[in-house]
Amino acid sequence: MPAKTWNPWEMALRQLADVAKRTRLDDDLHAVLAHPRRILCVSIPTKMDDGSVRVFEGFRVQHNLTRGPGKGGIRYHPAVTLDEVKALAMWMTWKCAVVGIPYGGAKGGVICDPKKMSLGELERMTRRYTSEILPIIGPERDIPAPDVNTNAQTMAWLMDTYSMNLGYSVPGVTTGKPLSIGGSLGRNEATARGCLFVIQAASKRYGIPLSNPTAVVQGFGNAGAIAARLLNEVGYTILAVNDSRGGIIHPKGLDPVAVLKHKEKTGSVVGFPGSAKVSTEELLTAQCDVLVPAALENQITAPIAKKVKARVIAEAANGPTTPDADAILESRGIAVLPDILANAGGVTVSYFEWVQSLQSYFWSEREVNLELRDVMQRAYHDVQRRADQEKCSLRQAALSLAVSRVAEATRIRGIYP
Amino acid sequence: MLRKIECYIQPFKLEPLTQALVELGVDGMSVTEVRGFGRQRGQMVKRRGQAAPKPEIKFLPKLKLEIIVPEDMVDAAVVLITKLARTGTVGAGKIFVLPVEDAIRIGTGETGHTAIA
Repeated sequence: MPAKTWNPWEMALRQLADVAKRTRLDDDLHAVLAHPRRILCVSIPTKMDDGSVRVFEGFRVQHNLTRGPGKGGIRYHPAVTLDEVKALAMWMTWKCAVVGIPYGGAKGGVICDPKKMSLGELERMTRRYTSEILPIIGPERDIPAPDVNTNAQTMAWLMDTYSMNLGYSVPGVTTGKPLSIGGSLGRNEATARGCLFVIQAASKRYGIPLSNPTAVVQGFGNAGAIAARLLNEVGYTILAVNDSRGGIIHPKGLDPVAVLKHKEKTGSVVGFPGSAKVSTEELLTAQCDVLVPAALENQITAPIAKKVKARVIAEAANGPTTPDADAILESRGIAVLPDILANAGGVTVSYFEWVQSLQSYFWSEREVNLELRDVMQRAYHDVQRRADQEKCSLRQAALSLAVSRVAEATRIRGIYP
Repeated sequence: MLRKIECYIQPFKLEPLTQALVELGVDGMSVTEVRGFGRQRGQMVKRRGQAAPKPEIKFLPKLKLEIIVPEDMVDAAVVLITKLARTGTVGAGKIFVLPVEDAIRIGTGETGHTAIA
């Protein structure tokens, strides 16, 4: 898998350069967008349970703040690099611009192995990291969210630390919070639901049958399990799903709710009564209408892309398709609903959470879902129209739409001073 | 908040639908016999891509159901109606969801959620 060895920041710059060339982007604007607005590198001394002190390294990168405050997750992982965080911050800029929410792009990361840390150690590290990045975050500056190995609890610590420093509660400093301190209904399901709305909006165009459409879902975590359930609710037969331990297939369809119960009981989807085992490659190349990769990056590689039989791939995960696979899928006429569109439901409901937090007025789950549908449908049609105009793939169209929106905002605001 | 589900269905779908909605917890509904047309202009056979002369508009018999439900029941009811009123052909009908500002039970003067339960 060549894409894995590529430096993510170089990859992000190359994507930007491609778009700049295709859309004849002004060179000065290109230069502005090719540099992060601000990078903060911090050391995070943390008292460990054994009494020793470890100093972790952390980052917060704000790629672009022209359309609004920065938005992006914080990840805890031993393999975090500054280049990765820079690239992810740039992708957040594009993602927010594609769906048209008033945010710039940001991302944070701490080099650590949370699986080897106690809850207390994680809390102290999170609070110190928050204190270190405190000057550049805030509801009007930059609003972190959960990402790899961080969750609602992490966001609660972050929100509390920020609030303690200011002397009053500031729920708007983060999203993905627990409901009890100002989280939003529907936030958990948002990525999967947004993905469903994009699939539904694209169905007619890409020939997904009205009766008994079929889907295959790779990954059975938060996004995958919920996507399978929601697709099933709107009439899809779920032929196959998998998780890190293996995959299962059933020609007549799986009941996603029952599969989830099985996974909660046994730790995996494998062994679900009545199902047969299936390998990841067989799963990704199974005959179906919609393939939903909802697991890790770089899953659909060139050799797999040659054998994919789905009509539509809806990228619930980030970067599941390698660039060379992308070209193959395009030449084979398989539509790829790209990640910055298909999984933008998460950041969109984060935006709704921020709005609710700022107003201290909370919406019903149905209101959240309907607003999300409006945003996702509009975003899909914007991207589709652009793809038709520029005669390019949906991924290229999404990127060029995003870059043009950010470039236009930058142009109209002008270069300070 | 209360919502009104107003849907137009094929008359023969009423019976199974009523049963299922009651089981879901719907406490009442009104049914009206109506006539209408949609995208097919009342033509029973699908004509796609045919440059047909302007077809005469025909009003076909449908039933209109009006159901008032609490907001948190809307999604389940819509899923149910979509599933049970589906015919597999054109003209199965449509569902509309409308906000209801208030509800008042005339006999007792009860309002809001208590008026429909």
